[in-house]
Amino acid sequence: MTAELTETEQAVRDRHQLRTLAVAITTISAVLCGVGVIVIYAVSLNRLWFLHFPLGFYLLAQGLLIFIVVVAFWYVRVQERIDHTRSVNEEIV
Amino acid sequence: MIAPSRQRTPNPHLGAYYGIVASAFVSLVILLAMAEQLGWSQGAIARSLTLLPLAAYLGIAGASRTLDAEDFFVSGRRVPQVYNALVLAAIAVGGTGFFAYTGAIFFLGFDALAIGLGWACGFVLAAVLFVPYLRRAGSYTFPAFLGQRFRSREARIAASIFQVAPTALLLAAEIKIAAVVAAIFLPLPFGVAVLLATLLVAAIGILGGMRSLTWSGSAQFIVGAVGLAATLIVVSVLLTNLPAPQLTYGEMFGALQSAETAAGLSPVAPGVVTSALPHAAPMQVVKPFLQAFGAINEAGFFVLFLCLALGTAALPSLITRSGVTRSVADQRRSTAWALLLVALFVITAPALAAFAKLLMFRDMALIPTQGLPAWLSTFSQWHLVQANDINGDGTIGPGELLVARNGVALALPVLADLPYVLTALMATAGLGIALAAAGSHLFTLGASLADDIYIPLGRRPIELPRLVTAWAAIGACALLTVVFLLIAKVDALHNAVTAFAFAAATFFPVLLLSIWWPRCTAWGALASMGTGFSILFLAVTFGGVIGVAETAVGIAVASLIAAVLAAGAGVGASLYGPAPASFDTAYYEEMRKPEGEAIVDLAQARAATAARATEE
Repeated sequence: MTAELTETEQAVRDRHQLRTLAVAITTISAVLCGVGVIVIYAVSLNRLWFLHFPLGFYLLAQGLLIFIVVVAFWYVRVQERIDHTRSVNEEIV
Repeated sequence: MIAPSRQRTPNPHLGAYYGIVASAFVSLVILLAMAEQLGWSQGAIARSLTLLPLAAYLGIAGASRTLDAEDFFVSGRRVPQVYNALVLAAIAVGGTGFFAYTGAIFFLGFDALAIGLGWACGFVLAAVLFVPYLRRAGSYTFPAFLGQRFRSREARIAASIFQVAPTALLLAAEIKIAAVVAAIFLPLPFGVAVLLATLLVAAIGILGGMRSLTWSGSAQFIVGAVGLAATLIVVSVLLTNLPAPQLTYGEMFGALQSAETAAGLSPVAPGVVTSALPHAAPMQVVKPFLQAFGAINEAGFFVLFLCLALGTAALPSLITRSGVTRSVADQRRSTAWALLLVALFVITAPALAAFAKLLMFRDMALIPTQGLPAWLSTFSQWHLVQANDINGDGTIGPGELLVARNGVALALPVLADLPYVLTALMATAGLGIALAAAGSHLFTLGASLADDIYIPLGRRPIELPRLVTAWAAIGACALLTVVFLLIAKVDALHNAVTAFAFAAATFFPVLLLSIWWPRCTAWGALASMGTGFSILFLAVTFGGVIGVAETAVGIAVASLIAAVLAAGAGVGASLYGPAPASFDTAYYEEMRKPEGEAIVDLAQARAATAARATEE
């Protein structure tokens, strides 16, 4: 019985850690890829204008920062849901 | 018995207190604006607006003094998430961001955006990778976390020694910035200003440690935000008729490009701006604001961004604040709020630089018809500009004007011909942010040297000597900082980039491995820190001889190479040595749990219970 409980607890823990890792990789990849892509295409994007700003400049000065803040708060929300799921599952176990 | 930290409630009147602080500061500014119109001298206005907030910071620190170790090291673990975010943002930006980063954008425009992006991205990395787990561990200092994670006194002592480099570099940069501002506006000799600024931050740190740093730092952030926002909004209304500088400075780009063309600025070829980032000494502006990748190419931009991101995520002064909120979730949210505040500053800084450049170059273009602008003599007195008639035509052309990088933020209100009170307001805002950051760096340095080196090497201490040791270490670090600043030439931005590079190379890999890899061992941690630090130290110290790490981008490249090699060394040493003991694995699993009391608090409670049982 004890061994069975331990196995269930381990499964809950492993699922939590896997989901945490997936969210972490998604969040960091989104931010780093976003910055990388804009840096590569900044000169080309500067030919377009947005709110009186060259688009490449605007994205590096403001757009990416807004994106990073949104991604960070999305991450906080998703991670709290993952943590809550683990707590509920551990209580059930 | 000590109440578990999550059962301790924060002061419910904090909102009212800081509302009063903000209102009092705004009232002071309005009163001084009226006094200026009534004929008060500029000196009296500057002294009032600088010294009264300094007295308030010291008063707040005195009111939050403590002799309790948990309050001293982790602010009682009951700081509300937003208040912690205020201090985190102040530490990350600091006086270096307020004055040197805005100056770097003035000189480099587009290319300097890598720095701000790096700071912001660093908070995401910290929130995702490190902060929740460090809060769960609950160690009082960052080296103590490594010591407890691996049950290794050597890892703890090594981390404490390695963290001296980034923390001391940033401390020197922040005190230098604060002293320069105080020397101009109080006015004082530079040495006295250094002594005054260092004494103030040392007193705040000694009175209440992390607790007084939190509460005086929150007030300092409020003063900084009000000062920056008020001045920029006024300038924005004057130039664009709208009180939203972040949205409206784009409208000024046409006029800015015309002013730059009139001043003879044309797109620079790669390699013309040799130092990548501008120096602190007055320099000629050579690069147009909007030119992309003129001073730093695309690869250099991304490398500098990545170095600052990793450095911010693993900066000891920020990491040390990972145990001050009530729970893991609060700490994670707090980091996200700090990111929001830093992003707001980073979005605002280019507006300040663009307005300042437009106003300065527009006036310089009018010199042949209207004569020298009035601000030239003011800035010459403050050593913010140097004007030399190089071609001997009897006037100062735009190419003959040298501008001090760190003075751009202070120059904006004067360039816009605003009342003097707004110049003093900008100065006190930057001074507040610089002191908040300096206080945290000094505390991180002193508390770690005392708690992670002196005490582990000695016998088991009782509580009061533990705090006395920390006070002595903070005092000694403050004294060394004063001596260092009086004999050494410090460039705040160069110091900051080097400090973030050291944090990225030395601490990012070891934190990543110790939190995300259960197989990591004490030998792995030691190998990782030693490799990262040694490679970057060699590159920075001797690299200039062979052309490596001479510029900011060079330092960033060296730090990323060092970080990769440090991660490799950590993995190799961990796999080569014996597997972690069951206790270490149990600690790792406990640390990865998303809820519950801090591991340190649980251990202390168990030790207290055992001690009572022994006595009975």
